Amino acid sequence: MSTLMKRLPKFEYLGPQSLAEVCGMIAGTTRDEVLLLAGGTDAILQMRRRERTPRRVVGLKGVAELDFVRGQDDGGLAFGAMTTLQTLVASPLVGQRHELLQAAAAQIGGNELRNVATVGGNIAGALPCADMSPALMTLGAKIKLVSERGERWLALEEFFPEFGRTLALEDEVLAEISVPKPAANSAGAYLKFHDRHSMDMTIVGVAAFVSWDSESRTFAEIRLAYANGAPTVFRAHRAEALLRGQALSEEGLEAVAETACAESSPRTSWRANGEYRLELIRALTKRAIRQAWEKAVRSKAVTSKETSR
Amino acid sequence: MLNKDTQREFQVLGKPTPKKDAPQKAAGRAEYADDISMPGMLHGKLLRSPHPHARIVSIDVSRAMALPGVRAVITGRDFPGVRYGNLPQTRDYLPLAIDTVRYLGEEVAAVAAVDEDTAEEAIELIHVEYEVLAATFDPEEAMKPGAPQLHGQSPGNISAHTESHFGDVEAAFAQADYVREDFFETQPVKQGMLEPHACVGLWDSFGKATLWSCKMSPYAVWRQLAMGLDIKPGDIRVVQTYVGGGFSGGKQEAMPMDFCALLLAKKTGRPVKFVHTMEEVLIIGHMRHPMKIWLKTGTTRDGRILAQHVKLLANGGAYSSIGGFSIFLAGAMINLPYRVPNMKFEADRVYTNNGFCGALRGHTVVQMCFARDSQLEMIAAELRLDPLEIRRRNAIQDGDVTPNGFRVNTFAFDECITRVAEMSDWSNKKGKLPKYRGIGFGCGAHLSGARLMGHSASTAEMRMLEDGTVHLTTGSTDVGQGVETVMSMIAAEVLGVGVDDVHYLKVDSAATPLDPGTFGSRVTLFTGNAVKQAAEEIARQLAEVAAARMGVAAEDLEFRKHEIINRKDEKQRVSLKEIVRWGMFQQGRIFSGRGSYGYSEEKIDFRTGHGNLSPAYNPTACAVEVEVDPETGQVTVVGLWGADDSGTPLNPMAVKGQVIGAAVMSIGHALYENLIRIDGKVMNPSFRDYKMPLATDMPLLANFKHSNVITWEPEGPFGAKEAGQGAGTGVIAAIANAVFDATGVRLNRLPLTPERILFGIKRLQEQNGEA
Repeated sequence: MSTLMKRLPKFEYLGPQSLAEVCGMIAGTTRDEVLLLAGGTDAILQMRRRERTPRRVVGLKGVAELDFVRGQDDGGLAFGAMTTLQTLVASPLVGQRHELLQAAAAQIGGNELRNVATVGGNIAGALPCADMSPALMTLGAKIKLVSERGERWLALEEFFPEFGRTLALEDEVLAEISVPKPAANSAGAYLKFHDRHSMDMTIVGVAAFVSWDSESRTFAEIRLAYANGAPTVFRAHRAEALLRGQALSEEGLEAVAETACAESSPRTSWRANGEYRLELIRALTKRAIRQAWEKAVRSKAVTSKETSR
Repeated sequence: MLNKDTQREFQVLGKPTPKKDAPQKAAGRAEYADDISMPGMLHGKLLRSPHPHARIVSIDVSRAMALPGVRAVITGRDFPGVRYGNLPQTRDYLPLAIDTVRYLGEEVAAVAAVDEDTAEEAIELIHVEYEVLAATFDPEEAMKPGAPQLHGQSPGNISAHTESHFGDVEAAFAQADYVREDFFETQPVKQGMLEPHACVGLWDSFGKATLWSCKMSPYAVWRQLAMGLDIKPGDIRVVQTYVGGGFSGGKQEAMPMDFCALLLAKKTGRPVKFVHTMEEVLIIGHMRHPMKIWLKTGTTRDGRILAQHVKLLANGGAYSSIGGFSIFLAGAMINLPYRVPNMKFEADRVYTNNGFCGALRGHTVVQMCFARDSQLEMIAAELRLDPLEIRRRNAIQDGDVTPNGFRVNTFAFDECITRVAEMSDWSNKKGKLPKYRGIGFGCGAHLSGARLMGHSASTAEMRMLEDGTVHLTTGSTDVGQGVETVMSMIAAEVLGVGVDDVHYLKVDSAATPLDPGTFGSRVTLFTGNAVKQAAEEIARQLAEVAAARMGVAAEDLEFRKHEIINRKDEKQRVSLKEIVRWGMFQQGRIFSGRGSYGYSEEKIDFRTGHGNLSPAYNPTACAVEVEVDPETGQVTVVGLWGADDSGTPLNPMAVKGQVIGAAVMSIGHALYENLIRIDGKVMNPSFRDYKMPLATDMPLLANFKHSNVITWEPEGPFGAKEAGQGAGTGVIAAIANAVFDATGVRLNRLPLTPERILFGIKRLQEQNGEA
């Protein structure tokens, strides 16, 4: 194992201008041969540590069609894989339709990093500590994979079979992320813990997205997803089920947190012990649900006030 | 002490003055070593050991040499094989390892190439065959029989040992009403300066070597370069560049990159530049000593300290650096800021296969203060004493002579405690804050320059120019702390000119006076006195000329606002420039002054630990308020209030920057920073993972206050003492005490991580049947 970062390995750099070109360049290649470079905030370090030594690097920066934020006619949201985190943070459209995405993106690094890091890179890197994936999973995001053979859509929550891997085939590129229109009276929260108060590596991240049934005053829907809770980002389906159709209660939150811990399998590393990460999952699950619930209830209040006017 | 006498009238000093180099730095015009570019300059890179302990069997550089663009490759055998170092008895550094590497990251070979990329490529082409040796990482393990030995001349891996005993500790413990023993442990912490080490070496056609580098102590580097290169110091010139943060460490010593830049320059006939990456900075040695501290204290029923016994084990890493002095200082500083009539200190610094340790702001005082002021709070609780009262009862006072021979002139410790209590609203907070919010107190002390066995004295030279401005040179460097400004202020005060009329030149061993440089809080007091003396000499020369011209007595003349004025009849005045020109042009005078300060009249016995280590000592106190998240263990520092007796602050703006900076560094040390090493490998060699505190980790400015208790230190220039280090010494204990106050969790091991705090809270909840 290398002890120090080295110079970048030698590779051929390709700078395609269109998605079709990208697909042509990666068709018939293996992942070891070709590296798709998005923002590079992880990939460059991986290459300098020689964890990846591709023969070719395909830079996606010049592919304009991968960099967009678009409102869908059905009220959903679509954005290209090369959309930078800062673009998400600054987009009024994203703020209107899915504030949770902005909340998650804004907690990643500082301005300099967010200006280069992309949402596609954050997802496709398939690291368990990625902050965008939990938020997107709870919003029911789908991702579009494109190759010369055509395109296909996958639910993001099915995208990560194991640590560091995705279901994308070697000739496929992650092109687009699509998020459906949020349900009425819904809101989300992304809480992550790190040692410092900002600009730090996620030890545990919890995304909670809820919609509130104003009639029965219960959770119409609740979705939970975790960063660093397991070898991959994942949804805690069993925990979610406990609260669906229920009202917010301390006992309910305790039970959800307990089940979320049971569904998690965080690792012990020099950054944090697994035992401690479980404690964080327990605490942050409750907080995130409560925050999302309160926001959802408030959004109802705001909406009805506006309607009555 | 705190009477009107201490508030002197100054014309320049005592007024908040922005740093003279601030515009240059803010605009990006200041030239750091990495900004230097010379025609034909080559770029150097170092090959580092991948093993914590190994024998070098062979090194094959042929493939690296064959790479186009590579101009030279050197290994340890290209140097004369002379060991160099700080203290004569612990010279164990080599410019490059010759037959053994002792830590992972140690320098093995160096390359000079036409650009950085080629140099990096060449480094990978050097083939080193290692025979891996058994390694040892923990000091206690390293001391055991049969442990791998790092240095032949140091059996048991003892790199340095020191002990001292004053009074009779055993008798005092026997008499004590209360005795307790605690164990504390501290972690390795890095300097964290923003400018990594950088240098440019040149070996000219006359055979003289020149090194441009960001050194805090250029003369220490100059001597070490001569040692390791085995040439005369006179054949070497060290030129200081702007220093982008010092905090001691590699900027105080000659480093492998410095030697390699010079030798590669000699081999290639070209200038050679080296710049460390931040990853290299974090992997190589130079850090604060991690320590294990056993502290036993005996007191009377009313909390008066009768005796302290300290056993200390410092994990020194692979080489000595200044380590022998590091552990000596730890013991000496047990004598401040509390009266300890009987004390015993036993310390070992142990070699291990880790990056080596040395000095870092606060040196080893910081670790000792953490242990002592944590324990003092526990004693106060056991004896049901107010934490402030126990400190007052033991506080050193003006005029005290400590058992180890410190002669304390000014020491406004009581007033520091009182002010902090007021500023922090202590009496309304201690024990009265809501659950999981707490306040803690911590104190410490520092010295204004340590007198060492080697070079201790400071010197200054000053020359008046015909336009009424002066050139001032010393051997002390501005490392960002504001030396340039405060030395200029001292000269300006004496000569009645403006701060900008004094040109403070950077240190150049070929031109500026010999001086140990910047470390140990010595500059304001030692160099400041030398500058004052030099300026006074010029003032005397000018007064003599002016007196003759004005027909008045020289001793009646004052220097104010570019004029020389007769104190007895202020209408009689003449412009400074007129006198300068008259003296220079008509009388052929050279207005120049020299000053020095050594404070060397009495000896320190480093064997017994007895002697007055410094001309002046300064106390500090602080209170920290924290909020702890009971579900995550995360600590938020809500407020920090500190007070220091820095004597008379010469530049209050710089003093404020220094004391707040010292406190911020200590917040990092207490809560975040930790160089994590597993089997000698640094796991977090980046500023992403080596966590220094950020702005968001600081209390709001409104709750971050500092007060100077103004005293007039007779040994200081214009009453001044140090300000850069003392203020950090009490902060760590204050945070640990505040966390205890907030949670009931007492942590004796640093850093105070959220994980340990949380599990501490959970244990307490279980004990109380809450969970």
